[in-house]
Amino acid sequence: MNSLWGIVFKKELKDLFRDRKTVIMSVLLPLVLFPLLFGLIGKGVKSTTEKVAKEVKIAYIGEESSFKNFLSSVPNIKIVETKDYQEEVKKGTIYLAVVVEEDFDEKLSQEKMSDIKIIYDSESTNSQTALDVVKDVINTYKDEVVKGRLEKRGIDVSILSPVDVKNEPVNREKAGGGALMLTMLLPLYLIIYAITGPMAAAVDLGAGEKERGTLEPLLTTQASRMQLLFGKLFAITVMGIIGTTSSLTGLYIAFKYSMDFMGDVGLKISIGSLVLIGVTAIILNMIFAAVELAVSIYARSFKEAQTYLSPVTIIGMIVAYGTYMMDVKSASTMMFNIPLANISLIIKEFIIGVYNPMHIVITFVWAIVYIIAAILFARYMFSREEVVFRT
Amino acid sequence: MIEVIGLTKKFKEVTAVDNVSFKVDKGEIVGLLGENGAGKTTTLRMISTMLKPTSGTAKICGLDLVNEPDKVRKKIGILFGGEVGLYDRLTARENIKYFADLSGLSSEEANRNIEFLAEMLDMKEYIDRRVGKFSRGMKQKVAIARSIVHNPDVMLFDEPTIGLDVSSSAIVQDFILDCKKKGRAIIFSSHSMREVERLCDRVVIIHKGRIVYDGKIEDLRREYNGEDLEKVFLRLVGDKDE
Repeated sequence: MNSLWGIVFKKELKDLFRDRKTVIMSVLLPLVLFPLLFGLIGKGVKSTTEKVAKEVKIAYIGEESSFKNFLSSVPNIKIVETKDYQEEVKKGTIYLAVVVEEDFDEKLSQEKMSDIKIIYDSESTNSQTALDVVKDVINTYKDEVVKGRLEKRGIDVSILSPVDVKNEPVNREKAGGGALMLTMLLPLYLIIYAITGPMAAAVDLGAGEKERGTLEPLLTTQASRMQLLFGKLFAITVMGIIGTTSSLTGLYIAFKYSMDFMGDVGLKISIGSLVLIGVTAIILNMIFAAVELAVSIYARSFKEAQTYLSPVTIIGMIVAYGTYMMDVKSASTMMFNIPLANISLIIKEFIIGVYNPMHIVITFVWAIVYIIAAILFARYMFSREEVVFRT
Repeated sequence: MIEVIGLTKKFKEVTAVDNVSFKVDKGEIVGLLGENGAGKTTTLRMISTMLKPTSGTAKICGLDLVNEPDKVRKKIGILFGGEVGLYDRLTARENIKYFADLSGLSSEEANRNIEFLAEMLDMKEYIDRRVGKFSRGMKQKVAIARSIVHNPDVMLFDEPTIGLDVSSSAIVQDFILDCKKKGRAIIFSSHSMREVERLCDRVVIIHKGRIVYDGKIEDLRREYNGEDLEKVFLRLVGDKDE
C-alpha cells in the first residue's frame, strides 16, 4: 500500500486509534453498554420479582371462608393481620388486600355470584407482581368451584374447552421465532450505527484538519485532493464498521446472557445471509462516511461540524424508525427504490432467508449510486477554494 | 528561480491580488510586505498551487504552476505562521515522515533526511515523542523540518514568526538565513518592516492587491533620504488610500 491514498489511510487510522477518546467512544463503549444496561435491568427486575413471589404478603378482609382456606394453603402466600389495610397497601408493608363480601360461602353454595375485591397499589411494581400471583390463585380457585358444580350434575369438565388451539409457524426450519424481532431491530440498528459510527472520525479528519492548520501543508504535497479524500474516506469507513461490529457484538452478548430469550428461540441465519448483511452494512457505512466527511470539510471547526451533523443523524433516525415496522413480505418492488427504506427491507429479506435477485440488484445499484453521489459531494466540497480556506 | 507573471486572483467581486509580477533569484530572500488583507497570503497560496490564479501565472524553476502544479509542488516548501499544524497524537518523526511520504520520497531517502534534520535542528532527544505535549519552540522545529524534508529549491514563509516569542522567532529566522546559504529562493511575507529589513535582500511592498514598490532595501532607504523605513512603508501604503 504505497500509493498516496494508502499512506493517508494508514496515517489516519494510526492517528484515530491513538485517540483514547475515539477508541473509548466508538469501540469500547458500544461493546459494554448493552450488556451492562441489560444486565443491570435484568438483574434488578429478577431480584424484585423473586423477592415478592417468594413471600406474597397480603391482607384478608372479611369473614372466614373456603376461599381464605384456599389462599392459606398456597405456600408462598402469607396472610397478614392488619388494622388499616388501605394505609398499609399504600405504604407497601403489605402488597395488596383481598376483600371478600359478606356471606361469601353461603352465596357460593347457593350458586350465586360472589364478589372479591382486590385493593392494590397501581404505582408499585411489587404490588403488581403480587396482583398477578393472587389472580392466578383466584383463577385456580374458580376452576375448582366450577369443577365441583359440574361434577354434582354429572358433567365432564372437558365440556368447557371445546377447542384446543396450537400455534405452528410455517417457517420453523428456515428461521426461528427470533427472526421476527430481528427483522425489526437489525435494520434499525445497522442504520443508526452506520450514522453514529463514522461520525467522530469524520469530524476529526475534515473540520479537525482545518482547525489544526494541517490542511494547508497537506495540500502542497504530491497527494491530490482525491487521494487525500479517498484515504480519509476509507479510514472513516473502517472506523464506522468497527463501531457497528462492536455495537452488534455488545447487543448480541446482552441478549444472549442477560435475557435468555434469544438463544432459546433458536435463531438460525445462514452464512450466506450473514455475508450479505455484512456487505450491506459496509455499504451503509460508506454512504454515511462520505456524507459526513463532506459536511465536515465544509465546516470551519469541530463545533460547526458537530452542529451540521446533528440533522443528518435525525433524518437517518426518522427513516430508520419509519421502516422499523414495515412488513417485508408485503413490500412491493417499488419500495426498493426508496433510499434507506430499500436497505432496511433487503436486510429484512436476508434475515428470513429470502434472496430475490430483482430486489438485490435494485437495492445494490441504488446503494452504489448513493456512494458515488456522496463521494462527488465530498469532492465538490474539497475542490471549492472558498470552502477549503474558510476559517 | 521564481518568476511571478501578472498573477491575479478575484474572489467574486473582490480582487485580492491584482496583476502582480516580480522575480526571486537563487539564494535571494525577497520580503513580501503589506498590511493585513493586502494580498500576501493569497499570493503565496497561488505560488504554492493551493489556489488557482484567476489570470497570470508563475514559473518555479522553469515549471509553470498552472500547467504543472504537481511538479511545482515538489520544488516548494511552505512554512505558514499561526498554528504550526502538527498532528498531536503522532510523534515528531511520524509527523515529518508523513509529509516526506506524501512528497514522494523513498523510505530510505526520507529516513536519511529526517536523521539529518534531527541533528541540524537539535531535536534528537524528542524526535520519537508525541508532539502533543511539546513546547511552542519544539513544535516550531518540527514544522520547520517538515517544510524542508523533501529538499525544496524554493521556500515560502507566510508570517512565520507571528505569535512567537523571541527564542522561537530566532529559530525561524536562523532557518531562513540557512536556506539562503544553501542557495534556495525565498519569499518571506511579513507586516513588519523591521523583520524584512533584518532578513531580506529585496522588498516587494503590496497594498490592496497591487505592488507599490519593488526594489532593494538600500535603494528604498536612499530614495527617502535615510528616513525610518517603517515611516516610508506607512507613507507608501498610505498614499494609495487617498
